[in-house]
Amino acid sequence: MSCRRLKDWVGERYDIEGLREFIRSKHVPSHRLDVWYFAGGLTLFLFIFQFITGMALALYYVPEAEHAHKSIIDIVTKLNMGWLFRSLHHWGAQLAIAVLFVHVFSTLLLKAYRKPRELLWVTGFVMLTISIFFGLSGYFLLWDERAFAAVRVATGGAGNLPLIGGFVKGFLRGDLDVTGETLTRFYAFHVAILPLVTVAVTGLHVVLVQLHGMSVPFSQQNRQRKPEPFFPNLFYKDLIVWLICLGVVVTLAALFPPQIGVKADPLAPAPEDIKPEWYFLFLFQTLKLFPGEIAGLNGETIAISIISAAIIFFFLIPFFDRRSAAQRPSPLFTWIGVFYLVYFTVMTVIGFLT
Amino acid sequence: MVHRVLLVVVLFLIHAGALFGADQKIEVFPATPYDRYTIYQALVFFWIGIAGLIVIIVMKLKEIKRIQNMDIDKDEKDAPFLD
Amino acid sequence: MKLDYSLVTRRTFLNSLFGGWLAALAAGSAYALLRFIFPTLGKEPDFVILNKGDFLDIPANSVKPFAWGGKLGLFFKKENGSTEALKGVCTHMECNITYRPDVRKFYCACHKGWFDENGKNIEGPPPKPLEIFDITIEGDKLIIAKKGVKVELPKA
Repeated sequence: MSCRRLKDWVGERYDIEGLREFIRSKHVPSHRLDVWYFAGGLTLFLFIFQFITGMALALYYVPEAEHAHKSIIDIVTKLNMGWLFRSLHHWGAQLAIAVLFVHVFSTLLLKAYRKPRELLWVTGFVMLTISIFFGLSGYFLLWDERAFAAVRVATGGAGNLPLIGGFVKGFLRGDLDVTGETLTRFYAFHVAILPLVTVAVTGLHVVLVQLHGMSVPFSQQNRQRKPEPFFPNLFYKDLIVWLICLGVVVTLAALFPPQIGVKADPLAPAPEDIKPEWYFLFLFQTLKLFPGEIAGLNGETIAISIISAAIIFFFLIPFFDRRSAAQRPSPLFTWIGVFYLVYFTVMTVIGFLT
Repeated sequence: MVHRVLLVVVLFLIHAGALFGADQKIEVFPATPYDRYTIYQALVFFWIGIAGLIVIIVMKLKEIKRIQNMDIDKDEKDAPFLD
Repeated sequence: MKLDYSLVTRRTFLNSLFGGWLAALAAGSAYALLRFIFPTLGKEPDFVILNKGDFLDIPANSVKPFAWGGKLGLFFKKENGSTEALKGVCTHMECNITYRPDVRKFYCACHKGWFDENGKNIEGPPPKPLEIFDITIEGDKLIIAKKGVKVELPKA
């Protein structure tokens, strides 16, 4: 069967020519800071990578407190390439979150969130939250000592939120304490609820990018080179970046497979020096800054309230930054962005070193 | 009878093994030098594959740029089909 | 009574009736869904019954864990031989604590919190002392109960 006939068949039913015209006319601005555009596509690639490796792992994992830990050991020790695929999923997640942070902070500092792209920022922020929760729930599925203690601390910390804390804690744990119920819940989040939301929100995000086109930072608006066509030029450049990223993930996965700790036991003492995953370290370090009690109030609650306020402010930046929205430079929000970035980096590094 | 005794002994040995193994680290990486060598080799081949693909893409990109600079990439709307 | 004029047209009336009805229906359904996904939380036990022989004979200056509901309870014999039962869960972030016989203190490894022999928080982030339980002995039973809870044993 010739390809011509297939093309005609589709063409008679759907507007292929319109789609081709859209792809041909899609151009991407070209300037000194355009490397940051690659972060978004790279995040998308890593998410697809996580979906594929995750689906493969889900064929073998047993989401039940008695068997979860054992089933992962079986995946790693008994299955063909099992150790590699678990490791790929682990390292893919680490890189996905790292690249996501790069994407978020570059958007923040280049003010790509400004009018008319506020909804892109909102959908992106939702994706960031989802990804972090993906990380927490995935980490817990290992059901080892450290994951158990970490989730106990994380959900307990959520319990310190004012007003809704108890509700959130109960909802996340599914029980009074972290138990097998929590494992069932986190499994449902990790493999059913979060992936579906991810597909929907990411889809919306990508469609919005097509509608608005790429944002050009203020400083580069008068110094642009000729825009490059997306297809084929940037398609191939993206492909190069994706291939290098794939190589890095595979190398990390093959050389540094993640360890598996001792099976979780709710009655065992907490392991020494528990540390959350690196993307929680900045929260962890911030909590350490606060004493247990401030003026008779619970210090944790105060800490969590301040952190929540900072995160909500971060989320609402496009709506506060009126000067950017009016297409004028807004140094105040540049400094706020730099503050967030420096705080995040410094706290993560301190948490990593201590 | 002998079979039963043997079974008990084997079961005991398995459990004893589990007791000894309890404190050991779980192997998350193939242990034998031969397997490791195979993995490193596969990794090198994988990178060769990626590098080759990247070289081809760079060549393609250069070709695309050359044609775009000549401004002959615009499709002629009324060109007749050749096939 | 018949009104000559009304500010509400038939169309706005029907629209708000439709919208309101839809919202009420959706709210009812959402409530049912929320009731389902929010778990029925259990309750911490008021008391647990243990076997006396298993616990009273532990050496001095040591602890023996028991299950307090799904959480960790510690039966503790001090250096001077007196006994105590306490909840082995740190009051800071709910990590399980351990007893350090060498310094005679309880230690939480999560955020380096320390409690003394009487469960008082003396160092690190814990905001409150550990919860101490009442101990009563009936026959060969060791009953560990929340402070101030009256234990009514089921008749055997």
